[in-house]
Amino acid sequence: MTTTLTKQSLLGRPIDRIDGRRKVAGAAPYPSDFDLPGQAHAALVSSTIANGRITRIDRSAAEAAPGVLLVLTRDNAPAVADPPMSNLGSTMRWYFRDDRILHYGQHIGIVVAGTRAQAQAAARLVEVEYAAEEPVLDLDDPRATIEENPYGLDSSRGDAAAALDAADVTVDSTYTIGAEINSPMGLFTTVASWQGGRLVVHDTTQFPSMVRASLAAMFGVPERDVRVLIPFLGGGFGAGLRLWSHTVLTTMAARELDRPVKLVLTRPQMFSSTGHRAASRQRMRLGATQDGRLVAIDHDAVAANGIGDMLPAPIEMGTPMAYACDNVATHERRAHLNIAFTGFMRAPGSVELHFALESALDELAGKLGIDPVELRLRNYAEVHPESGKPWSSKALRECLTVGADRFGWSGRDPSPRSTRDGDLLVGQGMAEASFDFYAQPCTVRLSVDRGGNALVRTGATDIGTGTYTITAQLTADLLGIEVDQVRVELGDTDLPPAPQSGGSGLAGALGAAVKDAAAALGERLARLDGRPGETIASLLDRHGLDELSATGHSDLPAAAATTDLAVAGPFAATFAEVGVDEELGVVRVRRLVSVIDGGRLYNEKTARSQIIGGTVMGIGAALLEEAAYDPHTGRVANGTFGDYLMAVNADVPDLDITFVGGPDAFNPVGTKGLGEIGIVAVAPAIANAVHHATGRRIRDLPITLDKLL
Amino acid sequence: MSSTTAARSTEVTVELRVNGRTYPARLDSTTTLLDALRDELHLTGTKKGCDQGACGACTVLRDGKRIVSCLTLAAQCDGSEITTIEGLADDGVPHPVQEAFVRHDALQCGYCTAGQVMSAVALLREGRAHTDDEIREFMSGNLCRCAAYPNIVAAIREVADS
Repeated sequence: MTTTLTKQSLLGRPIDRIDGRRKVAGAAPYPSDFDLPGQAHAALVSSTIANGRITRIDRSAAEAAPGVLLVLTRDNAPAVADPPMSNLGSTMRWYFRDDRILHYGQHIGIVVAGTRAQAQAAARLVEVEYAAEEPVLDLDDPRATIEENPYGLDSSRGDAAAALDAADVTVDSTYTIGAEINSPMGLFTTVASWQGGRLVVHDTTQFPSMVRASLAAMFGVPERDVRVLIPFLGGGFGAGLRLWSHTVLTTMAARELDRPVKLVLTRPQMFSSTGHRAASRQRMRLGATQDGRLVAIDHDAVAANGIGDMLPAPIEMGTPMAYACDNVATHERRAHLNIAFTGFMRAPGSVELHFALESALDELAGKLGIDPVELRLRNYAEVHPESGKPWSSKALRECLTVGADRFGWSGRDPSPRSTRDGDLLVGQGMAEASFDFYAQPCTVRLSVDRGGNALVRTGATDIGTGTYTITAQLTADLLGIEVDQVRVELGDTDLPPAPQSGGSGLAGALGAAVKDAAAALGERLARLDGRPGETIASLLDRHGLDELSATGHSDLPAAAATTDLAVAGPFAATFAEVGVDEELGVVRVRRLVSVIDGGRLYNEKTARSQIIGGTVMGIGAALLEEAAYDPHTGRVANGTFGDYLMAVNADVPDLDITFVGGPDAFNPVGTKGLGEIGIVAVAPAIANAVHHATGRRIRDLPITLDKLL
Repeated sequence: MSSTTAARSTEVTVELRVNGRTYPARLDSTTTLLDALRDELHLTGTKKGCDQGACGACTVLRDGKRIVSCLTLAAQCDGSEITTIEGLADDGVPHPVQEAFVRHDALQCGYCTAGQVMSAVALLREGRAHTDDEIREFMSGNLCRCAAYPNIVAAIREVADS
């Protein structure tokens, strides 16, 4: 059996997202839209140095200011327990545990008043004195504490050093990427309310179950007495995958005051309070034979981390699986700096790896005189290079060939500086990408009622990817009803437990759980002795039942551990054409083709939107985005939307996005996640195109005009 | 006037006309139109993304023209006709731009969407949506981090062509 698709299948159809009408009417409620009766407003006090100690805090002027109800600093805040580790291997360092200042913008206190204006005015009156030291901000700073092999992922197969020595041709290049800020449009918000011992929190998070577990542990209440609500998120791109201190401070203030407290971060605070993609440097060494077979890959990476913080951003994780190559070695370090705590940002690790690896392959292709697409095909990993197992799905070859065809790659003159269009140098570049499989267990509750309508409930979030829509679509497909007969409830930890929306892992896990629930429900319905062609509504009606429910569960990590398949994530190939104004150094993307293997699609329309979103963020990463630190204060000097450049509408050319491949053989629905793969190959494709246009190899993102002048 | 760090309050009386309704309000003179809409009038469809006029999430129409409500004082709007996302539908029938946004999936998380839609409605009235490049240029004051940009262009073009 290759597919369960029938002619009537709803799966894959490009239906409109079911929450679209609420969103275009301004009627979808985000955390900052919630106001509770009796609510007070909070503002944060943040550090103005990046390294040192607090020597004195004077709250008196703030406490005396109009409308102020509470000023909490480490001097008067109650103790809290440490939060647990999340399934992503991160926890939160509680700032108030000592007097250390670890980064600029570190939360020193929270001020609560009757109005937001009063709280913000009073926050400026909290006097803080410091014993300041010079901040350590650079990966190369000898004062930085370095941790070797922080995630235990350093790996070695064969003998990379010997193979490099013996290789016909080698590349040895170093690539750097500046810090990037997730910058979702929605300002992160916490509205906390203690309702008789029970805590209810509206909180901007992609990971409600983690926030619940963390707040329960920190405030010493059972998890069942914490409810986290997040029906609509306002974007996250990974920023909502950690517990952040503002959530804890707001919850603490609400408990101290015994009234609801609301905190909305300001945009500048978003730059230092909700994580970012860490700056990184990678040395990539490749060895190959004259005919373009890779014989060695040696990958060395160092990435920034906050001080006292720990967060996996495993740059080296995908390296051993990328190509068929007998000798691969990876080494990773993290450097602890006086920067705001890092986080996960769209395709963490994978974006970094592929910029280095795919740029290096382009350099190798140039040295060998082999076409870049052909070079990748010659080193194609037909089976998993470590385990030798067959992939659960891999249509990367089609990504490459279909992409080359759609782009018109075969007509390309490989020599740099070979094409002009008026004053512009024109270049074409490509790259491929993979994103590792990831999933966590998921549970859903599925009910059908006498009216023939279904209700699906799970504690997941829809961060804008389309979780509401694809859940309804799959459920309707499985039950043989219409999409508008399915209601989906998400974003509430009182619902059955679901994993984070992150790691491109939710759609597969949730779909598998829905399928399990539908099967369980089908068994119960079968026991009701249905007649051929009888609808669920009529069956329930005939038996006098108001509704029937079943719970479904998936545990894909457990299944992945025992399967004979190498469980694959999505794959992609991206082809870009740029125009470079050599006098001004300005790079514009003229057109871009991406071909994606995402397994079976739930919804072609929302799937395409995911890839568009990743692609455009990739254009920003390639050409625009970088947090610039003031060397003396450690402040993100461009920490506003006026100064931190991201792609706007006029930066986006015509995008040609195509999906290839069939259902994945491991996932019960056949799907693979799409939230991240779209970004991964974009920056290297653009950098390779810039090289083709100008003859200059820029190994430092973003490719700003100063680097081309 | 010297600036001080103390909270200084000067109240003003404003008559805000929003979506055809009149709201008399007594506000601090420094209250932005955005905060007045959200906090006083409880019209939360208009969003705050930067509070600095740099992202367009708070775009509303003032006498038919698009403005960023975070850089507009409520007191400046006395006597103006304000239209927000909540006032765009005609007797419950969504505006063609709203319909087109849904059809073309011109949104993902939805947070910037009210601003995008208001900006698009104004752009169409300005008569500057003749080509895709024009639409891209004149919609570039509205950031969308989910980057629904190509679909936003397609939605606006469809309405412009109809």
